[in-house]
Order: sequence, then structure tokens, then C-alpha cells
Amino acid sequence: MNQTSGRTLVDSRGSSCPGPITDLAIAYRRSKVGDVIELWATDPGVKADVNAWATKTSNQIVSIDETGEKITVIIRITKR
Amino acid sequence: MKRALIVGGGSGGTILANSLDRHEFEITMLSSSFGHLFQPALLYVAFSHARARVVRDERSLLARHVNLLHDEVTSINLKKKTVTTRNGVLFPYDYLVVATGMHTDTSQIPGLSEINAEFGDYHSSLAKAERLSYHLDGFRGGTIAIGQSSPIIKCPPSPLEGVLLTDQLLRKRGLRKSSRLVYFTPYPRPYSAEPMNEVVEPLLEERDIEVMTFFDVKRIDPINRTIFSIEGDKIEYDLPIIIPPFVGANILYEPADAVDEDHFIIADKSTLRIKGTGDAFVVGDASNLPTSKAGVGAHLQAKVVAKILSGHPATFDGRTSCPFDTGDGRGTFVIGSYEAPVTKARPTRIKHLMKTAFQRIYWISLRGTLNPAFDVYFKLTAPKKAAATGN
Ligand SMILES: Cc1cc2nc3c(=O)[nH]c(=O)nc-3n(C[C@H](O)[C@H](O)[C@H](O)COP(=O)(O)OP(=O)(O)OC[C@H]3O[C@@H](n4cnc5c(N)ncnc54)[C@H](O)[C@@H]3O)c2cc1C
Repeated sequence: MNQTSGRTLVDSRGSSCPGPITDLAIAYRRSKVGDVIELWATDPGVKADVNAWATKTSNQIVSIDETGEKITVIIRITKR
Repeated sequence: MKRALIVGGGSGGTILANSLDRHEFEITMLSSSFGHLFQPALLYVAFSHARARVVRDERSLLARHVNLLHDEVTSINLKKKTVTTRNGVLFPYDYLVVATGMHTDTSQIPGLSEINAEFGDYHSSLAKAERLSYHLDGFRGGTIAIGQSSPIIKCPPSPLEGVLLTDQLLRKRGLRKSSRLVYFTPYPRPYSAEPMNEVVEPLLEERDIEVMTFFDVKRIDPINRTIFSIEGDKIEYDLPIIIPPFVGANILYEPADAVDEDHFIIADKSTLRIKGTGDAFVVGDASNLPTSKAGVGAHLQAKVVAKILSGHPATFDGRTSCPFDTGDGRGTFVIGSYEAPVTKARPTRIKHLMKTAFQRIYWISLRGTLNPAFDVYFKLTAPKKAAATGN
């Protein structure tokens, strides 16, 4: 996890389920409202999990991009 | 003779010390504990009054040529290749292997220290597991809330094993009808990895265990007996069984970025070399590798490091094989690796017997003498690599 002024990069590439959602949960625990979490993953299951997570926690998914194997999810923390 | 310094006298450190060739290495182990606890037994101490010998003297588990010193390591300088202890002794090394495990930290969650001191848990120590057992004995009906309070956990099936064994215990004592069992988890589903969840979810339904997903413990109010989650939910309890968050050993590293925020060591996931070093390694729970924290991993990693130190190429493939007691004399195994996601495996009586048998051979396995048998087991149960799967 790499944090620079309210922006946290969570690199979960190469780790399969539940790696990415574990890493996101840890980042969420450390976040504040207004922070942005950028999650990198290669496990396709991450999309469904992150969507369910955002619905449950009322946080905002700004974008989900796929380039080759890499999935990039940008999340804005709007509720803590 | 090369000086191999091992920090930690638990599963990983002991297997490694016993695996190194005494003609090649002068082996020193530094450990802050005297007793080696067989941690999986805490589950049975808490939920079924197990009274087997679960702690043995660390010295008795080591080959005679291993030099064991009981002292707590306070700092490690990876640049100067030295280790300093609480007693102020400085140890230079040629090779370093850190196997300091991880321990619970109740201070991270407001209210947790109070309820942990009162009710105990089954991941911290033998004393805490006995305390939990005492409270389960005194339970006469009401709500038991059980779960992990942070995503980092020793032995991923252990929270579910706890709830399933609680259910079994309450049924045995005729208290199940007057009790509510609530299982909470920070994950989207009861078992974090979907294929295994397909096995677990029906079991929980069948046993009338309520599940609260996405429940990341924020604080506990011991007076009003309520657990609150970051996600905005709450659970009222009569008996709380809360697995505390875990952190790595409190050791000062130079350079400081060798560890993450929770003191887990950052290492290469294949060679287990600590970031930025060529001669310092980590095995077991102490690392931040993307694999389960389990004794099996510590064992396999110790074997990899022993090979590398002896000049043979070896890599760790992330392999795990965690036994999972589903109650009523049945069990299964959670098997996976970096490349092969966890697969679905139904609970059977045989697998439960295998888990029970392992408790008997654990102490011998630390000697390394059973390695050929383990090699066969791991080969036979090797998970299949998947190109791209959903989970
Ligand atoms: C309830 C429960 C059930 C489990 N079930 C299973 C299971 O079924 N299968 C499985 O494979 N695993 C299981 N585990 C996990 C397993 O016990 C651990 O993963 C394993 O013990 C890790 O080994 P380790 O060598 O990394 O750390 P540990 O065995 O914890 O040893 C750490 C050592 O480091 C020493 N140490 C720490 N800090 C310092 C310091 N600063 N200086 C010097 N020494 C230090 C300690 O004293 C200790 O000797 C379970 C754990 C629990 C709690």
C-alpha cells in the first residue's frame, strides 16, 4: 500500500480471490472521507466484489478500467 | 562456517533450524518465548475442553547443534547485517531468517481490549482460549456474536470453525434453541474465496447461523454490549467471540521500509528474500506475502529458504493447505497457491481424521524427518493452475 496525500494505491495484482478485497478492506479501514483508493488487480472476480462492497458501504466507484490483464478500480471514499 | 541467525522459535524458525546442515552453518536462534504453542489446538481448548499437551519447551524441539538463546530482538540492521536484542547484545550474521510470526493487537479497536480481557479469544494465547472456554461453559442462552475484526487472520478457516464448533457445542448442551448465533465478516460472503464459500454457505443455513457480511469492526461498546461496523451496522451480543487484528513483531528495521504499516515484512514472494537484501529472508506469518497465514506455509517456506541457503535454487509457489473443521466430525481442506485459486472441497470424515492425526505428528514434523511423507502429500493434493478464473 502506497499513500500520497489522500490517494492510496493498492496493488493486488497477481493475488487471487480474496486478495484484492482483503487489501481494499484494509485500505478502507485506514481511509478518511474524501480519500481516493486506486486498486490494481488481475483477478476478474474483483469487479463483482468491489461493486457489492461499494453498494454496501455507500462509497463511490469512479471507474473500472481493464487493460489486458490489469483491472484498475478508482474508488472515492464518501462514507466512513 | 557461515553464521545463520534465525529470529523466532515457532513453526517456521524451528523447521528451518532443524533443516540446515550443521557442517555448513553455525546456527543461532533467538526467541523471545520459552514454550512452543501448537496454535491450532487453541480452537479445541476454547470449544471442546481439549487438554492435550499443547505447549512444549522450544529447546526440546531443536537439534542439539542449534544454539538457542532466549532474548527479544528489538532491532535489525539489514545494511550492517546485525541484530540487537532487549538485553543489548549485538549479533552479526552472514544469513538472517526472520520467523517472528504475528500477534494479536486489541488496541486497534476501541472497546476491544476491555472485552478481550474479560472474555478471551482463541487466537492470542492458551490463557485467553481457556478464558473463552470458561465463558462458553457459563453461557445459558442469548446471542453469541463471533467473527474476525480485521481481514488479516491466522488460518483463514478458523473464524468459521469457531462458529460451527460453537453451534455443535450448544446443540450438545441443549441450548441451541434458546441461542442466536451471529457470524460477522469483513468479506462479501461467509468464506472469503467463492469456491469454498459454496461449500460453507449451505452449512451455515442448515445450522441456522445468521451471517453479516461486509462487517468490519469499528468499535465495541462493552456497557451496552454492542459491536459497530465501519459500514454502519451493529450487533448486540451476550457473549462476544472477537478475533482481534494481527500485527507483525515490534522490531525496528533499518531501512525502515522493509516492513509495512502493520509491521509485516516486505519480501519477494518466490525467493522470500527481504526487500532490498540478498542474504536476509522471512518465513511464516511475519511476511506480507499474498498467501494464507498458516503453519503449512511456514513449513514450506522454511524448506525453500534452507535449500537456497545451501546453494540450491528453490522458490515458494504460495501453496497453502489449511484444514477446516466443519463440526460433527467432518472436515475439509482449503488448498490453493499463487497460481491456483482455492477450489471447492466437500467436508468428509476422512479429512477430519487427517486433521486430528496431524495434531499427533506436529511435534515430529518440526524435526524435518517427515519431509518425504509431506512431499508426497503435497504432490498428491497439488491444486490445478487456472489461467483466468472468477475467483
Ligand atoms: C486457532 C488457530 C488455528 C490454526 N490452525 C491452523 C491449521 O489448522 N493449520 C495450519 O497450518 N496453521 C494453523 N494455524 C496457524 C499457525 O499456527 C501459524 O501460522 C504458525 O504457527 C506460524 O508459524 P511462524 O513460525 O510464522 O510463527 P509462530 O509459530 O507464531 O512463531 C513465532 C516465534 O517468534 C518469536 N518472536 C516473536 N517476536 C520476537 C522477537 N522480537 N524476538 C525474538 N523472537 C520473537 C515468538 O516467541 C515465537 O517463538 C492456526 C492458528 C490459530 C491461532
